[in-house]
Amino acid sequence: MTVSLLQPTQDTHGRPRRPAAIMHLRSALNGLHLGLFTFDDALCVQFMNEQLRIVLDLSDDAAGAGSDLQTFIESSPILASTAVQQVLAACHDAVLTRRLKLLEISSNEKGIFYFSIRIEPLPDQTFLATIVDMTAQRVAEARAVEEAMCDPLTGLPNRTLFEDRVVAALDRNASEGVDGPAVMVIDLDRFKNVNDTLGHLTGDGLLRLVSKRLQGMMRQTDIIARFGGDEFAALISPAPDLQSVSLLASRIVDVLSRPYLVDGHLVNIGASVGVAVTPLRGSTYAILLRSADLALYDAKSRGRGTSSLFQPTMDVRAAARRQNENDLRKALALREFSLHFQPQIDLQRNVIVGFEALLRWHHPERGLISPMEFIPLAEEIGLIVPLGEWVLSQACLAASCWPSDISIAVNVSPCQFGDTDRLIDAVAEALAAADMPGSRLELEITESVLLQDADRVLDALHRLRAMGVRVAMDDFGTGYSSLSQLHSFPFDKIKIDRSFVKDRADDRGQDAVIRAIAALGGSLGMATIAEGVETPEQLARIREGGCKIVQGYLFSRPIPVEEVDLMIARHNSKKNTDN
Amino acid sequence: MSALYQVLYCSRNRMSGGSKLVSDNIETILAISRQNNARDQVPGGLIFSDGCFAQVLEGPMDAVVAAFERIQCDERHSEVIVLRSGPIQARSFADWSMAFTGSSDTTLSSQLPISAVSEDGDAVLALLKSVVVRETEWLRRRVN
Ligand SMILES: Cc1cc2nc3c(=O)[nH]c(=O)nc-3n(C[C@H](O)[C@H](O)[C@H](O)COP(=O)(O)O)c2cc1C
Repeated sequence: MTVSLLQPTQDTHGRPRRPAAIMHLRSALNGLHLGLFTFDDALCVQFMNEQLRIVLDLSDDAAGAGSDLQTFIESSPILASTAVQQVLAACHDAVLTRRLKLLEISSNEKGIFYFSIRIEPLPDQTFLATIVDMTAQRVAEARAVEEAMCDPLTGLPNRTLFEDRVVAALDRNASEGVDGPAVMVIDLDRFKNVNDTLGHLTGDGLLRLVSKRLQGMMRQTDIIARFGGDEFAALISPAPDLQSVSLLASRIVDVLSRPYLVDGHLVNIGASVGVAVTPLRGSTYAILLRSADLALYDAKSRGRGTSSLFQPTMDVRAAARRQNENDLRKALALREFSLHFQPQIDLQRNVIVGFEALLRWHHPERGLISPMEFIPLAEEIGLIVPLGEWVLSQACLAASCWPSDISIAVNVSPCQFGDTDRLIDAVAEALAAADMPGSRLELEITESVLLQDADRVLDALHRLRAMGVRVAMDDFGTGYSSLSQLHSFPFDKIKIDRSFVKDRADDRGQDAVIRAIAALGGSLGMATIAEGVETPEQLARIREGGCKIVQGYLFSRPIPVEEVDLMIARHNSKKNTDN
Repeated sequence: MSALYQVLYCSRNRMSGGSKLVSDNIETILAISRQNNARDQVPGGLIFSDGCFAQVLEGPMDAVVAAFERIQCDERHSEVIVLRSGPIQARSFADWSMAFTGSSDTTLSSQLPISAVSEDGDAVLALLKSVVVRETEWLRRRVN
């Protein structure tokens, strides 16, 4: 295209142009879908087409051909000053360098627009600028990107979009001094239950209702996102005062915990909420979200159905817990665990009839750590399964060296019953490796095991029994359903909880419990054993109560494996000479 | 038309700040409910005392659920308990209305402007009334 045809009325040979040709060209340029203008190297506008008026929203009396470039560009009501500067700078640049310039300008100050601009030097010292309006395309692209960042089930923003919005809110806080945001993470309690019992479609319907309720509680500027599953998050921006934020969190718990009608089903769930507010030291998205997560963890550990505001101490606690967790994982590999054995004495014959294996952790820095401290953590992180297997194998190996009439009692965690096949395999392996008959092994389980999935657990207990393994009910009397559970499985032994052995003001009541358990055990063919016996008075009470076997400091503390042989030799032979 | 569905629930009144404010609030609820429920074809009735609410909603399932969800998000009450929910054969209420029961000894039925159109409707009202009366008495005893 030879644009110099447009303005000059003479051709390169000085002959007058035919006006008709110019007219045709003009109308062709006016019919183009891109806005276009030309200017000379003095930055003076020479020509513009009709489309440019539309693109730049120029009024009819606005500056046009003949005016200087700056006045011309500034007369567009939609170009903000930054955009004007960008265009002018590019034109200037093109004049100086005589090179092609491409640029894209966008703004949302005076209405949203995206323009793609091309400035091209022509052979005759003039320049051609074309402007393509990309607004519709870019807006559609942006919408498509946003849609891709939305959860298809609820239409809520997903994690990625949520992050974008939180980062933007933090930026506004940093650069413009807008009040910082608060972030909440929201977890539904018992949602899995709904999915499992009513099916995923009902679960999906419930999630949609939950997302509507959440949205209903937000202000225009706040955002609810779904992170997946039953996990939601809220961006409260700008955050009001702390009290209002806490109030909103409690309200979320309240409203989400109200009943739902889904597909004709009445559904009740709960919710837990963790809240983090800026200004936290060096707030970033990561810190804000992690703090909210820690607060959520706190809310859940306080019994769910509640909200919790992040406190720095949660960070410290979490760090300590992580440290413990790492140490615990290492401990198994580094052989920091050992077993101690506490004798169990038959009161009638006064002989040692067995030992209970008790786990010890020798922490390299913190010394001996009580099982009460690390077993719950091991259960929580699933380490209890390999740890329990290690205990089984070590206990059986140790016992295989003892006289064959002495049994070994091993505690089994309820978690180990999560995979009953694995538990049974571990028992079989431990027995085989120690070359020991199952009848010498006694597994101590707590009542809570039977509360899990009773059928599956009972099946496992029967399979263990078929291997000759004996089963004892541990900590008996502490649960609420104790008595009925005794009928569910023919336990070999009942271990009376130590709380009934301890001296208390109303020993008479305690004695009655011991007597009742011993009598009940007797009638069901189960032996009763009392643990935690520390004084001769306690022993007398236990004996009177009809309990047959005892264990406790009165006889011996738990001892290392090296001392077991000697103890058996001394105690059981003394009895022989006594007789 | 989709199948008819019915929900009965009761809840605690959370409105505070003088009886004038409360009665204004109740007026607002009544007005909006009349309007919304007529539009959505969800008639029913609300019985309330100073301490609690009991409500019946019936209509096409989607409409009932939509109304129920709206009501669930309302801050003016809490501790919502669904007493009954499920499909019904026929409507028991022609219109939407509301009754107030201030105390347990006034016979509710005499001042009850709610019009049931069937025996089922009467039974529902009797149930709601008994819940409100019992709850109100319980709340009073707890305060005293
Ligand atoms: C106890 C109680 C019962 C209500 N019953 C109804 C009802 O039947 N229909 C209704 O539309 N709104 C009812 N409302 C009011 C709604 O909760 C809500 O305020 C109203 O529908 C307006 O909702 P909107 O602001 O989302 O439009 C009731 C409120 C309360 C506290």
